[in-house]
Amino acid sequence: MLNVIILGLGQCGNRILDAVNKEAMGGGGASKIAKYCLRPKFPSRVETLAINTAINDLKELRYTTAKDRLHVPNLHGMGANRNVGKQAFMENRDSIMGEIEKRGNFDLAFVITSTSGGTGSSFSPLLINELKRQYPNIAVVTVAILPFREEGSIYLQNAAFSMRELMELDAEGIILADNQYMKRLGGDIASAYDRINSTIARRLLFLIESLDSEMLSVTDLGDFKTVMNGGLRIGTMGFYQADGKNSSVKDAIENSLKPNNLLYPANVANDAARAMVIIQGSREHLDVDQITKEVEKIAASAGHVFKGIVVKKGQPRVLSIFTLAAAPELESIYAQAARGMQEEKEKRLRARKQLDDAFAHIEDLEEIY
Amino acid sequence: MMESGMRAERSLKGKKQRPDVLRLVCLAVLILFLSGAFMGAAQGADKSDKDEDEVIYNDFTLGIGDRIDISNYRVELIEIQSVKDGIAVMQVSKIGGGLDEQRAFLVNRANNFVGGAEMGGITLTVIDILDESSARVRIEYRKNLGTPSRRASDRPISAGDKPALSVQKSFDRTELNVGDEVKATVTITNEGTGKALNIRLDDSPPLPQFSYVAGYPPKIKDSLDPGQSDSAVYMMNAIKEGTIQVSAIQVSYTDSKDNLKMNSSLPFEIVINPKSIAELAVRMDSSGPIAPGGKAMVNISLANVGAAPATRIEAKGDITPPVGLEGGSFDRSFFEIPPGGEVNYSVMLSGKDPGNYTVHLKATFDGGDGSAIREGSTEVVVLKREYKYEYLLLLIPIVIIIAWLYRRHREYKY
Repeated sequence: MLNVIILGLGQCGNRILDAVNKEAMGGGGASKIAKYCLRPKFPSRVETLAINTAINDLKELRYTTAKDRLHVPNLHGMGANRNVGKQAFMENRDSIMGEIEKRGNFDLAFVITSTSGGTGSSFSPLLINELKRQYPNIAVVTVAILPFREEGSIYLQNAAFSMRELMELDAEGIILADNQYMKRLGGDIASAYDRINSTIARRLLFLIESLDSEMLSVTDLGDFKTVMNGGLRIGTMGFYQADGKNSSVKDAIENSLKPNNLLYPANVANDAARAMVIIQGSREHLDVDQITKEVEKIAASAGHVFKGIVVKKGQPRVLSIFTLAAAPELESIYAQAARGMQEEKEKRLRARKQLDDAFAHIEDLEEIY
Repeated sequence: MMESGMRAERSLKGKKQRPDVLRLVCLAVLILFLSGAFMGAAQGADKSDKDEDEVIYNDFTLGIGDRIDISNYRVELIEIQSVKDGIAVMQVSKIGGGLDEQRAFLVNRANNFVGGAEMGGITLTVIDILDESSARVRIEYRKNLGTPSRRASDRPISAGDKPALSVQKSFDRTELNVGDEVKATVTITNEGTGKALNIRLDDSPPLPQFSYVAGYPPKIKDSLDPGQSDSAVYMMNAIKEGTIQVSAIQVSYTDSKDNLKMNSSLPFEIVINPKSIAELAVRMDSSGPIAPGGKAMVNISLANVGAAPATRIEAKGDITPPVGLEGGSFDRSFFEIPPGGEVNYSVMLSGKDPGNYTVHLKATFDGGDGSAIREGSTEVVVLKREYKYEYLLLLIPIVIIIAWLYRRHREYKY
């Protein structure tokens, strides 16, 4: 059995973790009742831990048990300041790692974090580093959420520096999810967040279940680590579930790779380095020849593609995970972040100059009473 | 009773006169035999005269005033002077004069008139006095006098001076119990036409089944005029059970002619049952199990199922064990409960402690044969305090669910 720990850092990471627990309860409105009478139904042994310096964010969680919520005490919050966050982590490192230790040994750790906030973006590189130091044999995969671009320059700045630190870590790669890209899933911001969180949660659970299932065609944690180590070690996930109108597994695989079904905007044909395609469905829908042909088609552009087939009742469902050899969208983020930082720097200098000019008026004067 | 008395009187007369009559009859038979032999000799001497001179006789039963006519002789029974002594008075006359004589006749003594039958007259013999008003008379006569005929009296029959006492003895009940008092009544009534004198009652021997309390032997008047009656009452106590034949009581009296007469009552049976005593049945019942602190009613019934009144009834009750069941007093007193009667009362009890309690009642009474004790009891159960576990059972799943939900809520409460 696969031992998995999912760590949600900061407000964004907490909410996606809560969505994971909600989906493990069955998801939807029924999970509100189910949490009072059922245990989360994870496909493997899954432990969850929400870490935050803001206690109010922890209180807003609905499907994560109290013992799985860790408040890192910090008097006035991070204020989106990663330096403060790093200091807070270092001060509370032992207690944080102690909480993780309590949950036993693991094979795989998911660290879900926003790249733009205070706690998540500052804690995640340090925490992953600690995890790899204390548990060198486990695979640590970061699920990093990119911010809405209009959220502000600090968030973009945080995202830029945070992403750089994450990519420099000796971890098993990053699965990117872009809020800006997935904004299309919901109308208003709140429902968009909910849908984004649920989408990420379902795909993670699908992945964990598939890695721990008896497959018709086997993919395992090792394959997943290989995929995540490919290219820039930055990847994303696509998902598609066929309906009754079209239950073709071939179409399902193709659709899972279409931009609309990805968490991060990417061109699989051009940018994918390695990929893993996991297909679930009733046996009658699982035409191995079609699956093989389709995987071979992907492999022609993506290099190596692992395929996993899980026989499970229902229409074909396909999860495709791939790492990218190029990430043009990231570059635009960095460019935007840099612009923002430069503009802010200039703005600050101008303000300082104006202030200095103002002070110059009284430079030679003394206070007269 | 009167009729029976008369029959008894007649029977007595017959018994007393029978030895004399037999003697006289034997003598008469001897005389007749001798006279027959004599006449037979005469007949042999003169055959034709013999037939005419033959003496024959006829017997007649005459009542007072009845007469026998033969030729010109007339014989009339005037009265029966004494049945006891066998004396009857008859008047003998001859039409045309020459004989008109009233003579007392002793029974079986032949009386000759005009020389007697041998001499052409007649010979009369009262051969039996049947009763106070009739006698059987034999007339002897020569054949040539013709045939005698009986003429009934054309005078009204006079009852005469004849007392007739009827006697009755009766008890006021014919079935009684040992110890019961019974009243015996003896009534004498003169149903005759003459005064009864020297009346004596013979009511002996005393019955051994009774003790005589008062009025025995019964005393009545010495004499009773016609139509008068007298009675005597005496009291007895039955002392021995059984069926008893009460013997007849005899009354003896004389009429104005000092004729002794007797009469007796009819014997009868009475039944004396064993002594009647009171029997008290004690019945108790309670109103069933009671809850702790609840109340129960114990109903007590004292019923006299015996045949005598129960008197001086004292009822005393107690409860065992004495602690845990409290209530009013069971003690009561009643003066009398008649046979078939019943008294009821109730006592309210209050259960304090659970358990089985016995209410015991002892009733002492006088049942007519000394003091007696009867007891009764009933069980009163005070239930243990019942805890409504079944309702708690219903609560258990609810509590479990609530506890489960609360625990889950706590799990998710941060």
